[in-house]
Amino acid sequence: MLKYVARRILQMIPVFFGVTIVLFILRAPGVLPGDPIEMLTGDRVISETTYNQLVSKHGLDQPLTTQYVTYMKNLARGDLGQSYKKNRSVTEIFVEKYPYTARLALAAILIEVVIGIGVGIISAVKRYSFWDVAGTLSTSILVSLPVFWLGMLMQILFGVYFKKWGLPYLPISGMGNPPDLAHLILPAITLASVSTAYVARIMRSQMIDVSQQDYIRTAEAKGLSGGAVVRRHSLKNALIPVVTFIGIDLGAMLAGAILTETVFNWPGIGYEIYLAIIARDWPIVTGGVVIVVIAYMFINLLVDISYAFLDPRIRYGGEAA
Amino acid sequence: MSNRFRSTIAIVLAIALVASLAALGGCTNSEDNTEGTTGDTEGAVKGGTLSQFIVEPFAITPTLAYESEGIYIVSALFDSLVEYDPITSEIGPAAAESWSANEDASVWTFKIRQGAKFHNGTEVKAGDFKYAWERMLDPEMASEISYHLLSVKGATEMLDGAATELEGVKALDDYTLEVTLVEPYPDFELVVGHPCLGPLPKDAVEADPKFDENLVGNGPFKMAEPWAHDQYVKVVRNDDYYGDEPNVDGIEFKIFKDAETAFLEFEAGNLDFTEIPAGRLGDVTAKYGASPDGYTGNPDEQVLTGPELGIYYANINNTKPPFDNVKVREAICLAINRQAISDALFDGSRKPADSVSPAGILGYEPGMWPESRYDVAAAKDALEAAGYPGGEGFPTIKLLFNSGSYHDQVWQLVQADLKTIGINSELESVEWAVYKDKLKKKEFDIARYGWVYDYPIMENALYALFYSTSADNQSYYASAEYDAQVKKARNTLDLQERLAGMRDAEKILGKDMPVAPIMFYSHFDLTSSRVNNFRYSPMNIPDYSHCWIAE
Repeated sequence: MLKYVARRILQMIPVFFGVTIVLFILRAPGVLPGDPIEMLTGDRVISETTYNQLVSKHGLDQPLTTQYVTYMKNLARGDLGQSYKKNRSVTEIFVEKYPYTARLALAAILIEVVIGIGVGIISAVKRYSFWDVAGTLSTSILVSLPVFWLGMLMQILFGVYFKKWGLPYLPISGMGNPPDLAHLILPAITLASVSTAYVARIMRSQMIDVSQQDYIRTAEAKGLSGGAVVRRHSLKNALIPVVTFIGIDLGAMLAGAILTETVFNWPGIGYEIYLAIIARDWPIVTGGVVIVVIAYMFINLLVDISYAFLDPRIRYGGEAA
Repeated sequence: MSNRFRSTIAIVLAIALVASLAALGGCTNSEDNTEGTTGDTEGAVKGGTLSQFIVEPFAITPTLAYESEGIYIVSALFDSLVEYDPITSEIGPAAAESWSANEDASVWTFKIRQGAKFHNGTEVKAGDFKYAWERMLDPEMASEISYHLLSVKGATEMLDGAATELEGVKALDDYTLEVTLVEPYPDFELVVGHPCLGPLPKDAVEADPKFDENLVGNGPFKMAEPWAHDQYVKVVRNDDYYGDEPNVDGIEFKIFKDAETAFLEFEAGNLDFTEIPAGRLGDVTAKYGASPDGYTGNPDEQVLTGPELGIYYANINNTKPPFDNVKVREAICLAINRQAISDALFDGSRKPADSVSPAGILGYEPGMWPESRYDVAAAKDALEAAGYPGGEGFPTIKLLFNSGSYHDQVWQLVQADLKTIGINSELESVEWAVYKDKLKKKEFDIARYGWVYDYPIMENALYALFYSTSADNQSYYASAEYDAQVKKARNTLDLQERLAGMRDAEKILGKDMPVAPIMFYSHFDLTSSRVNNFRYSPMNIPDYSHCWIAE
């Protein structure tokens, strides 16, 4: 197992170099249109002198290979460089914002796990009952709703109208100062909405699938109660695809959630990276992508490891994984 | 000299104001007050925190701030030598008590107010201005707004790294600042009113590597805590302020990514000043009431749509055939239905542009560009005179703009207008980076362009946008006659003569039509029902000192 983990971590190294090299190639003149220094001033044109000062301040007059080597050297010291546009260190930006993104992502994943899996199990166990139909119908609707629309709808209802009607209402933007749970509710529900519906549907079909397997029939024949069969046998076996999905989803959320962040004014990294791409603020783009790629790979690794616990037939570290 | 100056400015501005207000159908009392007007402060109460929507600024330090968001905060934290009146844009004393110029307006002497303090308790002295201005010109800072000081002797040398001191600025003693200019510049007293030209306390700047996010200024408000990026900037009343003490306890600048979200917060009662979402002016005005002068927000008079000092225009590539033909440019200028654009996108609140100088600016006169109007028949005639009867033989041209905002809709309308006179065009809707690239490389026929005035003087746009060697001249218009006229007017001492000279320069533009003016910007903003006497100037600077909050 340890050997497997070590191997997977070593595999990240070429991926890391691959990603950073591709990102640096994007900076080369002529690959993508747009000059990051020209982006700095709105409609106004900067003078030749200021332009040259900014170019040399950000090291853009160096050959791309030199820039890459300098970047790697600094990265080894934990320095992701200086944003062109923001006058701030990129490390500082991500150290500040990543916890906000993680906070929102974990809250959303929690909703996905509890509600998604819960609804899936109920639907599967009480197949074709009222609850199954209600669950299937509501997940169908949820999957087809645009995230930003759902978010704004909830803001208007729970923030604006509930307040007007004198009911307990929810804050509709920001994280709160200091950050609190109330501010987390609406953005987390919005971010989790579509995935929760998917989780419920995957869970339901997997449970139904598993319940037709021989080993479930064996367990029932042994005289185990219905609840025990679900808990000990079908649930565990049905979980693998669900865990895979949630893992991928968590990875995606840790890359930021542009729509949810925009609607709820959440200070996460998704919008930050998006703005940086528009402004050609390469240090933020590169730093953000490096962090996101590493986070994604680690979560994938965790998902793979979790398989071994869910299904003892899966072994790592042997000759054939 | 400056007093005579100021009273003349005051009178002309008062006339212009009354005229423009009459045109708006409103009425107000305009008082001739060199100390600056305060608005109607009867019944003012102390207390409360004003909250305002901004997007994340690039910078909030006077050394670097260039967008309106940053300048809001700078203007709350800093006082420059002089300040603009929030309604008339007339200047009055601020950090300087008085000032004067030598006989050709090339050397200016500012008397700094004694006893005025920075937020850290140290007294504001003449040397603090010199330090702040040198910091703006320091190549290390690479400030994009160093152009504010280019008229000062030695500024270019500092920017080039040839000098480490700003030669033209001397602190004769603690309270006397002498500024020597490159050439006579009688409007310089209006330049130093820019909020970013305030003083900086050298010791505090050097002691704090994060000074630019936790500023120490000399204005009516001071920072409550360092800038919380993407969340808020909080400032509180400076009780040690020399001027009128603000009524509100503080201002919270709430940072949003999206104006729609901010508007929902406004409706939930959590914001006092925000933007009106596009296309909502009608129902928002019905609900919250229009401000009579378009600049002052009061309960039930909350919608602000007063004209700003800024212009939106079609930037024509003057170096590229067939646009090097003045008759072609004239045809384009006449073909655009400006009112229809304003009606479709801004409920008619933006005024069609009849020149590049907005109506609120000192020296404005209607009709300086006779051809900046909508006249299809005349446009067709002009196109025929250019050798393209009915558009025959005219190439298909490209209309370049950055996608997003309202630009797509504006240019669809322009495209249809051009089609009417026989010019076929394609829309080139590109992202911001590509738009900037194409402008720089002159790869465009006609492009969207906008300009917001730095100072309330005609010259600010006339020089920057059309002087042949100016970096901001993106239409690449070059006329020796025009250059000479602008330069002559710029150096003219007498105010009336100078304004007449500027108008003559503008009339040369009106004859050559290097660009097609479309519309003047105007406010599209909203105050909450608890805010009184909130004045938002034509230069987009709010007056935080005289507003108050009544619950």
